[in-house]
Amino acid sequence: MPDLSFVFAQSLSGLTAAMFLFLIAAGLSLIFGVLRVLNFAHGTFYMLGAYSAYQFVQWLGPGPGTFWVAALGAALAIAALGGVVERLLFRHLYGKEELYQLLFTYALVLILSDVAKIIWGTQQKSLSRPPGLTGSFSLFGATIPFYNLFILLLGPAIALAFWFVLQRTRMGRFIRAAALDRETLGALGVNVDALYMWVFVLASFLGGLGGALISPMRAIVPGMDTEVIVEAFVVVVIGGLGSFWGTFLGAIIYGQVLSFGILFFPRFSIFSVFALMAAVLIVRPWGLLGRPLR
Amino acid sequence: MQRRSFLVMAGATLAATPRIAYAQKPIKVGMPMPLSGPPALFGEPATKGALMFIEEINAKGGVLGRKLELLTRDSKADANEAVRVSRELILKENVDFLVGTLTSAEGPAVSVVAKENKIVFIAPIPKTDQLTAQDKLHPYVFRVAATTTMEGRSAAEIVAKWPVTRVGTIAFDYAYGQDVTRAFVEHIKKLKPSVQIVDQQWPKLGEQDYNPFINAQMAKKPEAVVSSIWGGFFVTFSKQARALGYFDAIKSNFIGLGEAGSPETTKAMGPDYPVGIWGNSYDAFYWDTASPAHRDYTARLAKFTKEEYPSSWAIQGYIGMQFLAEAIKKAGSTDSDKVAKALLGLTVETPVGPLTIREKDHQANRGQLYGKTVKDAQYPFPIMKPVTYVDPTRFMD
Repeated sequence: MPDLSFVFAQSLSGLTAAMFLFLIAAGLSLIFGVLRVLNFAHGTFYMLGAYSAYQFVQWLGPGPGTFWVAALGAALAIAALGGVVERLLFRHLYGKEELYQLLFTYALVLILSDVAKIIWGTQQKSLSRPPGLTGSFSLFGATIPFYNLFILLLGPAIALAFWFVLQRTRMGRFIRAAALDRETLGALGVNVDALYMWVFVLASFLGGLGGALISPMRAIVPGMDTEVIVEAFVVVVIGGLGSFWGTFLGAIIYGQVLSFGILFFPRFSIFSVFALMAAVLIVRPWGLLGRPLR
Repeated sequence: MQRRSFLVMAGATLAATPRIAYAQKPIKVGMPMPLSGPPALFGEPATKGALMFIEEINAKGGVLGRKLELLTRDSKADANEAVRVSRELILKENVDFLVGTLTSAEGPAVSVVAKENKIVFIAPIPKTDQLTAQDKLHPYVFRVAATTTMEGRSAAEIVAKWPVTRVGTIAFDYAYGQDVTRAFVEHIKKLKPSVQIVDQQWPKLGEQDYNPFINAQMAKKPEAVVSSIWGGFFVTFSKQARALGYFDAIKSNFIGLGEAGSPETTKAMGPDYPVGIWGNSYDAFYWDTASPAHRDYTARLAKFTKEEYPSSWAIQGYIGMQFLAEAIKKAGSTDSDKVAKALLGLTVETPVGPLTIREKDHQANRGQLYGKTVKDAQYPFPIMKPVTYVDPTRFMD
């Protein structure tokens, strides 16, 4: 049996990965829940968020606040991009066959990733951790980088803020209503078109923020978009597509299974995640916290 | 195109052509190479080295009076994609030879294509022993890269001198990672029987989150670690490892194979590089004990790529093309059967010294540079110092 400090360290690294996955998967799940579109291009917004953060850091030059300004700027830029994409392109997809939607969003993935290659090239980019969060501290024998701690706190904070918006605000009520019955909501005088755009903007913001915040821990490379979208799909399938807390739970399960999978099946940890997804699909096709589709 | 601009262009082309008349078509060389994603960190400069060689030899009149022409394709570091573009190069572009591939997944896959089409294929970078193993060897495949045996054993020679006995390994779970790790483990047990392998981690190729692997390795408390996390992946790995105090825990007793000491890698990381670890590289522009031929090569490369600190990977594309051109000359033909025969036992004066392709396994005795990384005031990134060329000739078998 491995010692406890190791188990602790391992679960924390799983949780850190989970918080990133939650940021990405939450947007994916939100768009599906409200707009009923499976947005393959969501991973591309995440990648563009990372590249934008890199670009902002280049423009701003070194400084204590550079990274934070860049990360926020990147998330806002991606949110704006999301708004434009929704207004110009996505609105034509609503109510269409799922095959059309998939083909369309996949085409968007290809186009946007080529645009990224044209702008930033194929060489990988790298960002350093922001000054002030470069160190680490020791807890129960495990080394925890400050940056990871920040992510561990940010994840639940965003989840709560998100939940608050959905449950306690007027806009949140509209969003939930739109997910259930778009026509009735429109008949009651709510501008559903604008609402859809704001949902898309919010989801893109989360995706872009995830990409920006992950860049100090990973490399920024072409291909990171399709890699993350597969993981995000696994998360929402486990948690339940369209279910908010399901996504949170799915992300945590994914992170932990991956982290501890390497203890028991050192060479098959990725397999354990997909096995879990398969099991969920067989037993509860609508996910752990999802509702069966109407 | 307007007639006038066409005439101007035609005139310019004529003016640029040397006086030798090219009665024949150019000799076409296909180069499948990863040009996107983290492996492009090494793939892109390798194609530049090949291009520089071709430009230089064409300026001198080409080979057998014919120009050389390079056709590059992005193999995306993927075996299937490498096979697809290689077939396309052979069938559609009618290339005469293949020089290329980077990963140990691509190399053996393209080797099969070369065998089917009876076309000489020179691998400048893939290291897996399987590429030239007796059961996979065929008349058309050659390698001017180091092998996993050579690299693993070089690392064992170095680690055997360290005052450590508890050793861990971390490598990608595919041909290259498995083979180099096995070669290291076997050789170090021979050199220093007291060494124990206390932990082995096998992330999948291209892993982005190494935290669980790093934690698991640290829990086993190794005193030294041999890694073969290569290319751009090493950047991600060491960023995460450093944050977790990994390099401090093993007192920088870490040797990064897969060119973790190359200027590309140290440059990509800048201040985030875990200075003090050991690394290796195919080349280094700052290699101070190299021959005058190497200094001349480095100066030419810097001019060709317009880089202040030229790449260490260009040399592999360069040497691959050098062997091909020499073999064509020796054979007096571009017929793959004749060129393949000419390559056997061929010795070429390369920028790193004379290299010979052995007859028995089609393998060149290509060693690598090894050294401990230090900060150097002369450069804005760490370098290996002192840097030593480890000649593998005595432990190739």
